[in-house]
Amino acid sequence: MERTLQVLNELERNGVLSRYAIGGAMGATFYTEPLLTFDLDVIVLLPQTKAGLLTLTPLYDALRAKGYAEEGECVVIEGVPVQFLPAYNALLEEALREAHEMAYQASSTRVVRVEHLVAICVQTGRAKDRERVRILREQASLDDEYLAAVLRRHQLEGRWKEWIV
Amino acid sequence: MDRVKAEIEKLFRAKEQRRVRLAALPYPEKVQAVVQMQRMTAPLLLGRGLPVRIWELEPSGWKKEAT
Repeated sequence: MERTLQVLNELERNGVLSRYAIGGAMGATFYTEPLLTFDLDVIVLLPQTKAGLLTLTPLYDALRAKGYAEEGECVVIEGVPVQFLPAYNALLEEALREAHEMAYQASSTRVVRVEHLVAICVQTGRAKDRERVRILREQASLDDEYLAAVLRRHQLEGRWKEWIV
Repeated sequence: MDRVKAEIEKLFRAKEQRRVRLAALPYPEKVQAVVQMQRMTAPLLLGRGLPVRIWELEPSGWKKEAT
């Protein structure tokens, strides 16, 4: 997976991506026991095109030029299916902005903060997100004050209260 | 009955401790564990017609096999 991260870092250095961070199950796995997943979810901030559009096309084109093939919703980069999710709302933008820099073997990467992972699950709201929140609360060290502020800022306190009853 | 209950509690405690140990592993080792889980579950999912791919990690990511 290190090579996959190196490719992501290179895309960021070259400006194909403005910023990226690992989210989803592999993001959660930084903080918990290993969680089963088949793709690497990557939240991305994309540079705007001249027409002001935010599109994944230049990213996919750059990856295709490097020989990485699309497979369903993912691009397989160095053997790992990567799913790119543009930061499409204020919560994801904030999660990306405040993601932690982390080392992976000899490379560096960025991972969404655990409190943002929780908030994203609350916002998405599926049964599996609720289960992930349970695992994160059980196994990760959450900054309760920070989490409360994120939930408040993004109007997620209602569902959070329902979930933690 | 109490002895059975005590045994079950012991098992649950051991499970819980294992999860805590797993959560504390270095991230590259957790990635290996995820791939191992993919290997275990992929045949079931493929059998149900779900298109899944087991990650092909570079050799540097592999843990040395115990000899």
